Amino acid sequence: MLLHIVRKELLDQLRSLRFAIACAVCLLVMLLSSVVLTRDYGEALSTYNMNRVMHRNELEQRTQIWSVNEGITVDRPLNLMNTMVRGLSQELTESVKIQPGNRLDFPESWEGNPVLPLFPAVDFVFIVGVIVSLLALAFGYDAISGEAESGVLKLLLSYSVPRDLVLLGKWIGGFLALIAPFTVSFLLALLLMLLFPEVESDLDASLSLLALFCLALLYLAAIFSLGLFISSRTRLASTSITVLLLLWVAFVLALPNMAPYAVSQIVPIPSQESVRREKAAIRQEWSERIQTTWREEQEKQERDDVYDDALRQRFDDMRLEMEAEVQKISDNQTAQVRHQMRWSAIIARISPMTSFTLASLDLAAAGITQEERYVDALQAFSEKWGVYAEEKQADFRRVMAENRGRMTPELTEQFNHVDLSDAPQFQFSHMPVGDRLTLIYPDVLLLVLWNVIFFMGAWLSFVRYDVQ
Amino acid sequence: MISGSSFFNEPIIMLLLRIIRKEIVHNVLSFRFAVTYVLLFTLVVVSMFLMGSQHRTKVDEYIQAEAQFASLMDELAAIPDANEQFQKVTQADLPGARAPRPLAILARGLEGSLPTQVSSRSRFDVKSSDARLGRNVLFDVFQTPDFAYVVNIVLSLLALLFVFDSICGEKEQGTLKILLSNSIPRDTVLLAKWIGGYLSIATPFLVATLGGFVYLSVSGALELRPDDVVRFALITTISLLYVAVFFSLGLFISTATHRGSTALLLSLLVWIVWILVVPNLAPITARLVAPVPSRQVIDAEQQAIDREAQLLQDSIRERKVYGDQEESERIQQDAERKRRKLDQFYNDRMTRQVSFSQGLARLSPSASYLFAVTRLAGTGPVLFDRFRDANDRFQKAQDDWRKDLYRSGNVEATRTGPQVKDKDWFDPDSIPRFQIYSESTGQAIDAAMFDILLLVVFAVLFFMLSFAFFLRYDVT
Repeated sequence: MLLHIVRKELLDQLRSLRFAIACAVCLLVMLLSSVVLTRDYGEALSTYNMNRVMHRNELEQRTQIWSVNEGITVDRPLNLMNTMVRGLSQELTESVKIQPGNRLDFPESWEGNPVLPLFPAVDFVFIVGVIVSLLALAFGYDAISGEAESGVLKLLLSYSVPRDLVLLGKWIGGFLALIAPFTVSFLLALLLMLLFPEVESDLDASLSLLALFCLALLYLAAIFSLGLFISSRTRLASTSITVLLLLWVAFVLALPNMAPYAVSQIVPIPSQESVRREKAAIRQEWSERIQTTWREEQEKQERDDVYDDALRQRFDDMRLEMEAEVQKISDNQTAQVRHQMRWSAIIARISPMTSFTLASLDLAAAGITQEERYVDALQAFSEKWGVYAEEKQADFRRVMAENRGRMTPELTEQFNHVDLSDAPQFQFSHMPVGDRLTLIYPDVLLLVLWNVIFFMGAWLSFVRYDVQ
Repeated sequence: MISGSSFFNEPIIMLLLRIIRKEIVHNVLSFRFAVTYVLLFTLVVVSMFLMGSQHRTKVDEYIQAEAQFASLMDELAAIPDANEQFQKVTQADLPGARAPRPLAILARGLEGSLPTQVSSRSRFDVKSSDARLGRNVLFDVFQTPDFAYVVNIVLSLLALLFVFDSICGEKEQGTLKILLSNSIPRDTVLLAKWIGGYLSIATPFLVATLGGFVYLSVSGALELRPDDVVRFALITTISLLYVAVFFSLGLFISTATHRGSTALLLSLLVWIVWILVVPNLAPITARLVAPVPSRQVIDAEQQAIDREAQLLQDSIRERKVYGDQEESERIQQDAERKRRKLDQFYNDRMTRQVSFSQGLARLSPSASYLFAVTRLAGTGPVLFDRFRDANDRFQKAQDDWRKDLYRSGNVEATRTGPQVKDKDWFDPDSIPRFQIYSESTGQAIDAAMFDILLLVVFAVLFFMLSFAFFLRYDVT
């Protein structure tokens, strides 16, 4: 019996205009987005390779010992998943300048194309989250109320078939009809992507693609169940589509966007500029204290050359103290930001769209956690570079100390021909799929919960539905 | 068709008014009117509330930064010893604060992509790793929910929902047949339907906007300068024009179909492709079609030019022949010319890419609307250029100012540090400040005119199409 209903529902849907429209939209949008984003990925990949060689050459051409103080430029490796999920960073690759003293200089967004930040990218997350979810509503809105209007439902229920079976059959049939064009377009888009020579797929990428697809199905199932739920709460198809569109606008277009702004009103954080000013003030105070100490020492000993080990020790202690203070401000700021972010995410997760988006970002290694990982890796590398630069200079310092600062031509020659080819290389690998899956686990549960709630709602309403 | 003097037209006008009235009453009594009204009012007011609060925070930060600068100036001016004062002033970082644009409340545009403070020490404000992570990145995950977003995405959808069954729905019900059995020309019917339907969506929108405006002015989030009020009114007008485009489009779809459900699905299809896909794909597509070499490549080539010039100069110095000075200068100028040429090349390519992405995005009225509105709000694509110019100007002025301190002959470098002759040398007002030039309202309107005209063309085109289809419409 269930199979009959599923078959009838499926055939009904397949012959409808909306199925044709869903096919057209899915194919058009997915293929277009796949071509454009993969081409963009290819371009970014060649930029990355070129920049990496360029920065390596630039480093190896340096010969003077002083040039290790100029820092080093490293490039962000690409992530294949960015062809599906653009993620948080505007650009797929970027050159970060690592300056001495653990300072990272990121490129400025305002040096690039100003039209890019105005529009969101049409990637898989956007397509599924906004476009296909709208189609899911179009598939579900008249499943009950439309049939009640046309009288088919009355006929159907006059047979000896339990209502829960009818609902389940409708759900399965409708959902199959919805995901058929979606799956086909997704597979075609993947195929198209693989045709590009730049794309080299590995196990991690395939697994996360599969997980991403399953996540999309889960999200679409939740939205489709919502459609069925509202449909079984209303008598007219026109009412149910109006209510559904209202809910869709509120939960997909408005709530996720507004939640962070609303939370930032309730849980404010100090601006970056004020934190920077605070840190600058501490540094300023420190340098003034150093100067005062220096002058005091000069006056006390009544000579200019007062720099010795004891004084150096004192300066070092003062520097450490200052750095601890600066670090405390940084940590405080980070903690506050995390607090605000956590609450924004919680509030925004009232919409299933947020769960889907954040989970996709994490799954594609393009989310907040990965961004933190990347910056951590940069910082670790920066420290490594600092150690390396220190080692290179140690020799020079020793020789200088031995010769009391006087350089012979031979020594100058020696320190003007330093070999930097053994400099450390920046290595960054994306998070393994297993870890990403553990990360998205709460969101998946939340989506399952939405599915259950909406389907239960639909069931409870349908068993009481008046088919007259 | 009845034509002639205005006197004879009066019955037609009466009929027109009557159909308009019927249309408005029909709409107002419908369920979707209530839904639209609630949704629009909530979204517009909440968006203005949130963006207004955001703006106020930014303004507070700006005021704080300025106050801090002023107190720094006072502190520096109060130093009694002129030599120490000189040392402190030259060592101090004299940052420039960027005032937030008030109309970013309506259209945030690029406002959030720019730093609010520029350091005077280097051209690039140094971003550390906590600048990268020291903000709530959830802001970047979804689009900014400003007024422009609500109109651009939500209102266009609501306009289509309002009108999709105005012709084909009445045909399904049979009321269209009865209406047309009276002696009314079809164009009058269509016009009346357009006016009546448009008024019934424009009115709730205007009420919501007015509500938001009242909130913004009462809460003090928006300073009521006459210029800003004019721009606010203009942005509202452009929004109304944008709604008209989608209303005409919906009417056209309705006249091209015979069933309400078909019209609804077609409207959704057109909306998805035209609003969600075309404008958003445009910038990346343009980047592929009109590529720009990355800034690093240009920088590397400029460095190579410098190195070459340096080598040439070194070889000249080794030769030690008379007349080297001129040759050395020539090499310097040559290198400078090459550098400028590279910069020019980069800028040209970037301009080309930007205009290409704008042109491509303008295939959709959504992009035209966004460009026009952000232009009027002063947060559009030109803001990056203006910021770059302002930053360059600021850094140059700061450099000149610092150099002038030494050049004026007031300062003498000695073994114990600089000695200042004139003890009253410090003038805080002479320190160059950061200043972005903004367009006058007239200029902004001129610049946005192309996009506004494009919207008018779209609106007229769709109305003409619906007219052409409706004249041939089969009402039975």
